[in-house]
Amino acid sequence: MSEMNKRIIEIDKVAKVYKMGTEKVFALREVSVDIHENEYVAIMGPSGSGKSTLMNILGCLDTPTAGRYAIGDADVSRMNDNQLAEIRNRKIGFVFQTFNLLPRASSLKNVELPLIYAGMSGSERQQKAQNALTKVGLGDRMTHKPNELSGGQRQRVAIARALVNDPSIILADEPTGNLDTKTGEEIMQLFADLWKTGNTIIIVTHEEEIARHAHRIIKIRDGLIESDLKNPEPIIV
Amino acid sequence: MKLSEISEAFKISLDAMLASKLRSFLASLGVLIGISFVIIMGWILDGLDGAMQDTFNIMGADVLYVDKYDWAGGQNWDKIRQRKNITIEQVNEFIDRVENAELIYPTARRWGASFAYKGESFSGFPILGTTFEQSLSPAGEIEIGRHFSQFEDIRGENVIVLGYNIYEKIFDSKNPVDNIVKLNGHKYRVIGVIKKQGNMLFDFIDNQVFIPMKSFLKTFGNFNRSISIGVKAGSVEKLDLVRDEVRGVMRSIRSLKPYEEDDFSINETKAFENQVASIRSVVWIVGIGLTAISFLVGIIGIMNVMFVSVVERTKEIGIRKALGAKRSSIAWQFIMESALLCFIGAILSFIFCSVIVYFAAVYLPELISEKLKFLSMMLPYNLLFWATLVSVIVGMLAGIIPAFRAAKLDPVDAMRSE
Repeated sequence: MSEMNKRIIEIDKVAKVYKMGTEKVFALREVSVDIHENEYVAIMGPSGSGKSTLMNILGCLDTPTAGRYAIGDADVSRMNDNQLAEIRNRKIGFVFQTFNLLPRASSLKNVELPLIYAGMSGSERQQKAQNALTKVGLGDRMTHKPNELSGGQRQRVAIARALVNDPSIILADEPTGNLDTKTGEEIMQLFADLWKTGNTIIIVTHEEEIARHAHRIIKIRDGLIESDLKNPEPIIV
Repeated sequence: MKLSEISEAFKISLDAMLASKLRSFLASLGVLIGISFVIIMGWILDGLDGAMQDTFNIMGADVLYVDKYDWAGGQNWDKIRQRKNITIEQVNEFIDRVENAELIYPTARRWGASFAYKGESFSGFPILGTTFEQSLSPAGEIEIGRHFSQFEDIRGENVIVLGYNIYEKIFDSKNPVDNIVKLNGHKYRVIGVIKKQGNMLFDFIDNQVFIPMKSFLKTFGNFNRSISIGVKAGSVEKLDLVRDEVRGVMRSIRSLKPYEEDDFSINETKAFENQVASIRSVVWIVGIGLTAISFLVGIIGIMNVMFVSVVERTKEIGIRKALGAKRSSIAWQFIMESALLCFIGAILSFIFCSVIVYFAAVYLPELISEKLKFLSMMLPYNLLFWATLVSVIVGMLAGIIPAFRAAKLDPVDAMRSE
C-alpha cells in the first residue's frame, strides 16, 4: 500500500442514531476513517457492533445522522435518494453474502444491470458485461441463470456485476459467508487479483480468517473504532 | 429517465406478466369486459344508424307526408283521432294548388284485406293505393317488370305492383308478371316488383303492394278513409319553402280559421330520427354505466395485483436500487406493467369482440330474424382505439400508488426480504 495514493473515502465523525419508539439507539457513535485508492481493507466486528451500519453508509445505502462522508469530491452525507442512487451506480460495486442476483435473468443480464441504470446503449453494455464475466472466469457461463450455477460461480457473477461499471470501491459484505472453505478461498483469490490490478476493496466480515487477507484491518465495537491497524502479513493465496 | 431505463422497465413488466400468465389474464379481465361493452354497444349503434340512414334515403330526407295522424305521437291521441279524414277530393285539390313541390303522390292504405293467389290467401301486409307519380319517387324503383303507367292510373286499371318481400313470399322468386291475384275478390294483374329496399330494422317498405288509387277506391270503397299525401320537395334546401306552402294550402282546403290549429300533421323522416335518438341515448346510458362499473372493478383488480407484484418483487427492487436504479426507474417499471395489463385486456377484448361480432352478424339473422341483417361484421375501430387509450391511461393511474410504494422502499430492508 502506498501512502501517496489519492484519498477516495473520507469519513469524519460520522454517527448514526436510530429511534426505536422513544429510545435512541446509537448504531455508530463517532467514526472517522480515510481510505485511499488501491487499499485492501477489512472491516471486522461482532454482530451489533455497528459494522453493518458502517457498511451501509460506506455503500451509500444509508446516510449518517451526523458527520461528513465524502467519496472523492462528492459529499454524500447531504445527498437525496436519487443522488445516492447515482453515486452507488457510478462509484460502488457491491458484493453480497447472498449474492443478490436476479433469479430469472442470465449471468450476462445480471452483470448488465448497473450499466442499464447508467444509461449505456445495448451493444456497449453487452461488450462490457462480457469482458467483466471473462475477467472472473465465467466467459463460458454467460447465458446461464443463477439456479444453473454453483455458489462460487454465482458469487463470481456478482463480482463481475460489481466490477462492470469501473467503480471507485468494491464493497463486499461477508462474500464467503455462504460458500464452503475451498470455494471461499477461490473468491478471496479473485479479490486479491482485483486488488493487484488497481481496485480498491473493502471487505466486511466477522471471520478472522477472511479479514487476514486484507492489508488493513479496522475493528468496530459498540459503534466505535476499536483498532485500525496494518496487517503486516496478509495471507497470499 | 434514460432510454435504457425505459426499455428495461418495459422488458421487466413484460417479463413479469409472462411469468404469471393466469394472474395477468385474470387481472385484465375487468378491463376486457369494460372495453367489450363499449365496443359491442358502439357496434349495435352503428348498425342502427346505418339501417336508419338507409331507410331515410329511401323515404327521402326531402319528403313530407301530410297525414291525418302524427308519426311522432306524443300529442293528444283522442284529439288526433277526431280529426276529419283527408278525402280524395281534398287530395286532388291539393295536387292542383301546390306549386313548389317536385312530386306529389297520395297514398291510401288498407290493412287486412283478403289477398289471394291460386286459392291460397296471404295476410300481414297493407295494400296501398297510389298514383303514377309514386313510380317516380325513390321508393317506386322497379326490379322486375314495370310500374303502372299514367294511363293505367287515370283509367283505374286492375294492375298491381308487389313489394319485394311479398313477391318472394308468394312467387318464390319466379317471374310473377301477368299472374292474377285477387284482392277482396277483384282480379288484379301483376305487372312488376319494386326493388328490395329495406333489409334492416325498417323493412315495412318491402312488405306492401301498390295499385292505382282509382282501382283502390273501386275495390275498397271511399267511405271513412283518410289519404296520406307524400310531397317530395326536390331538395332538402327547398324543404322549408315547401312545408310552408303545403301547410297554407292544406289549411285553406280544410277551411281552418286563423285561430284554429292544424287538423292534420306534416310528417318528416325527422320523426323517426327523434325516436331512434331516444333509443340511442338509452343504449348509451346503459352501456356507459356498465362500462364504467366494469372498468372500476377492473382497475381495482389491477391495482390489487400490482400491490401483490410489489410485495413479491421487494427483493428485486432492493437489488435494483442498490445497483443504481432511481425512484423513477422503479416507479415506471410498475406503472408500465399496470398499463401493459390494461393493454392486454384491450387486445383480448378486440379478439373477443371480433369473434362475437362475426358470429352475431353471420348467424343471428338466420337464427332469429332477417331483421337483424343490419348488423355489420365490422367493429367500430375508432371506439376500440379510444377505449384502449383510455384504459391504458387509467391503468397507469391504477399503477401509480403501488409504483410509488415500490419506489420508496429502502434498498437495505428490501434486499433483506425473501
